[in-house]
Amino acid sequence: MNPRQLLFITFLLLQTQAFAQTSLHGQVLDERGMPLPGANVQIKGSYDGATSEQDGSFQFETSATGSQVLVFKFLGFKTQELSISLDTNSLQIPLVKLIEEITEMNSVTITAGAMEASDEKKSVVLRPLDIVTTSGAMGDIVGALQTLPGTSTVGNDGRLFVRGGDASEVGIYIDGLRVGNAYGSTTANVPTRTRFNPNIFKGTFFSTGGYSAEYGQALSSALSLNTKDHSLRTQGDLSIMSVGGGYSQTLANDNQSISLTANYFDLKPYQKLVKQDFDWERAPYGWDVELSAQQKLKKGGLVKVLARTEAGGMQLWQAQPGEDGRGMFVNLHNKYSYAQSNWRNSYENGWSLFGGLSVSSNKDDLIIDSIPLERKNLLSHAKFTAIKDFSDRISMKVGTEYFIHNYSEKLQLEKQERSFEEGETYLFTEWDWYLSKKLVLRGGLRAGNSQLAKQTWVDPRISLAYQISEFGQVSLATGQYHQLPIENFRVIDPSIGNSKSKHLILNYQYQKDGITFRAETFYKSYEDLITFKGNTNNPSQLQNAGSGYARGLDVFLRDRNSIKNTDYWISYSFVDSKRIYNQYETKVQPDFAPKHNFSLVVKHFIPTLKSQLGTTYSFNDGYKYTDPNQSGEMNSKTKSYQSLSLSWSYLPKPNLIIHFAVQNVFGRENIFGYSYASKPNEQGVFESLPTGQPAPRFLFLGIFLTLSKDKTANNLNNL
Amino acid sequence: MKKYILTLALSLVWIAFAQASDPAFIAAMQKQLDAKKTIATYEQSQTVTNGFLRIADASETEWLPYYYAALLKTEAAFRFEIDKDKSLDEALELVKKADKIAPGNSEITALNGYILMGKISLDPAGRGQTMSPQAMQLFGKAIDLDRENPRAVTLMSQMELGMAQFFGTGPEKACGMARMSLELYTKEEAKITDEYILPTWGKTVAEQVTAKCD
Repeated sequence: MNPRQLLFITFLLLQTQAFAQTSLHGQVLDERGMPLPGANVQIKGSYDGATSEQDGSFQFETSATGSQVLVFKFLGFKTQELSISLDTNSLQIPLVKLIEEITEMNSVTITAGAMEASDEKKSVVLRPLDIVTTSGAMGDIVGALQTLPGTSTVGNDGRLFVRGGDASEVGIYIDGLRVGNAYGSTTANVPTRTRFNPNIFKGTFFSTGGYSAEYGQALSSALSLNTKDHSLRTQGDLSIMSVGGGYSQTLANDNQSISLTANYFDLKPYQKLVKQDFDWERAPYGWDVELSAQQKLKKGGLVKVLARTEAGGMQLWQAQPGEDGRGMFVNLHNKYSYAQSNWRNSYENGWSLFGGLSVSSNKDDLIIDSIPLERKNLLSHAKFTAIKDFSDRISMKVGTEYFIHNYSEKLQLEKQERSFEEGETYLFTEWDWYLSKKLVLRGGLRAGNSQLAKQTWVDPRISLAYQISEFGQVSLATGQYHQLPIENFRVIDPSIGNSKSKHLILNYQYQKDGITFRAETFYKSYEDLITFKGNTNNPSQLQNAGSGYARGLDVFLRDRNSIKNTDYWISYSFVDSKRIYNQYETKVQPDFAPKHNFSLVVKHFIPTLKSQLGTTYSFNDGYKYTDPNQSGEMNSKTKSYQSLSLSWSYLPKPNLIIHFAVQNVFGRENIFGYSYASKPNEQGVFESLPTGQPAPRFLFLGIFLTLSKDKTANNLNNL
Repeated sequence: MKKYILTLALSLVWIAFAQASDPAFIAAMQKQLDAKKTIATYEQSQTVTNGFLRIADASETEWLPYYYAALLKTEAAFRFEIDKDKSLDEALELVKKADKIAPGNSEITALNGYILMGKISLDPAGRGQTMSPQAMQLFGKAIDLDRENPRAVTLMSQMELGMAQFFGTGPEKACGMARMSLELYTKEEAKITDEYILPTWGKTVAEQVTAKCD
């Protein structure tokens, strides 16, 4: 054979191979046996294949021969492979059923008690931006959350009160790590706000009950704030406000970013211009410095650092009922630091790991009625969690936490000091089980141990969600929650133990095209609440002898769609709460739990004015208080609380925002309760003074300028 | 005999090489690119997308099939009455796959920004704040990676135009960029041959921007 013949034969053989076409046909169905159009069918490793038609059928020719693998792929469905043998001209493929994959996007989410602010996930109630653009909140995260169902506005406190629980029952977390003293230090009846700027968070998870086994030491609510992952660009942000100013510099490249922020505020100039109802000796002032850094790791992990230190103070006179003169002098100076670092990574094999460490340090120097007092609180938290997705249907989370908690109080004149040192260990696990896209079960267990209280406990938690229609779903959650008493009590009697609460929540949520509707009903029981004799400043005979309950109904509607350029939400909460705790002698409605709570938030954008106008109206039916001139406890109620706030944000240039806001526009004189003289006067009457607002209105003007090479940047987030 | 065997071996090697390399891949791509031009319904778009995905599966080192599949998913979100967010999210996933094969590719980076523009358009108030800077940054990066990429410049000009309209400033910057991209398209057209399978789209977008400039 000469080379030419050989080549000829070679080509001939190849040609035959190339033209030995097999025609394949078959049909693709979904789980229920319905035709599945759009599925991709392919001979593995070759270009030959087809897409299934409307009736699920497919047909194509291939030149491949012998044993081959037929692959069925469709986004959102599990890939299937089928071994075939191509040695006939025509091959009928048996029916193939593709099974839909359950993903976060297409499956039901547990919404009982849970409200999220996020840009990424579905079933969110708020966007992160909403928190800063809610009129009346004045850039305070908690101020914005007070417009959501399940919360009560307690204007002389400022903290978050959830469903008939007091403010200590809300656990606040940043990136899963507990924050000690999350609110600015204050004195009685002077409202406070959260220390952290909403600008540093990309999402918020707010639960009004029935929450995950990951959170503990909170009887009523968990508020979890998640910091931003990675800043995109180098920029400077300058803010000039009627109450102070600040500057923030961010440096960023593809893998790391770092921001350094410094702020100073002083209400003195403002209070000179606008008359105040409080008798200030020194208006509140303070400074803070904050560092945040993010580093993407080579192997896909992310490390974050957040550190903040701040100091501030105030001095004021608080008039006392039945006494003449300016009353009691209070001088407060506070130093606070918070630092945390965390690392997270997800691996291809279905494991996701998280580790973090945080330290909160708070020091208050107080002079109350010429008695100097020093309070120190140091809370350290270490946490490690591992999540394993066994399949798209079952996932597991396990975690462990350790807390070191040191607290001390010192009476400077008497040189008396009392303190405690606590170590707490927790273990938790939680399992999600998707029975289908429409039904998910979650079961969790949380075990805790307190060295100081010498207690060990276990809390079971169960929830489920079921999708009942295309846009509607119901969720049910129940669980048990433990919480150790507040520091002021534990330092007096370290042996007092946990208070306990049980939640039962039924939720309905409807979500479609920018409309969210929620209705939720709940029952919460309280056991082993702390009771004492005497008053809050000097309690004695502390015991776990209290109990109580809270039950009620929430309704929430948000609509971003129906009215052009307008976004509004309406919340209504009914809470029926009674408890015997603190110095109460009978089971009564507490002063911080108004029965009817309503809020309306409207934001309207006017393109021609380049402005966003906002308004918030808040209402509740009044606060209970005890009038010693009448018999019984919590025997009276204040008039209703009402406040209307307006705000105007103007964007004349892409990098400049001018923000003007007025809180309580009509200057309504809201009253949060009354304080009474400890002894009756000569006529036998206990004299009283109302507990009111610092001023009828609060006005705010701020100018926010972003400096960056990219002119589109603005710091709307800083409002 | 040795000679014959060598010839046989060589011819086989040549044939094997020819089969596995460019011509087959290019032919398969061209078939889908031709089909892409005639898409009129979502079903057709899905069929062509699947075609590119089959090529992607068979030619694991090529970024272009994933790129076009992502582009089709993006265009489908703009053109057809479907779950637009879902389609764009799928496009993002495909862009990620393309990026893994060819990191630091200007076309992939620009497409990533284009998908974000689509996401923004579905919820400007909610997403604009976080996603606009991301999109702008991606276009900037795409231009840095390849100064001759007309799509990166065009998409950037489109964002600039939107911004200028919103803030009532002049469209000069957007116009300048769009004109520059038109020059780049002319340059690109000179390179196009029968075997050209790299991206060429976007000229009409640039023309739409320049139309607003007079």
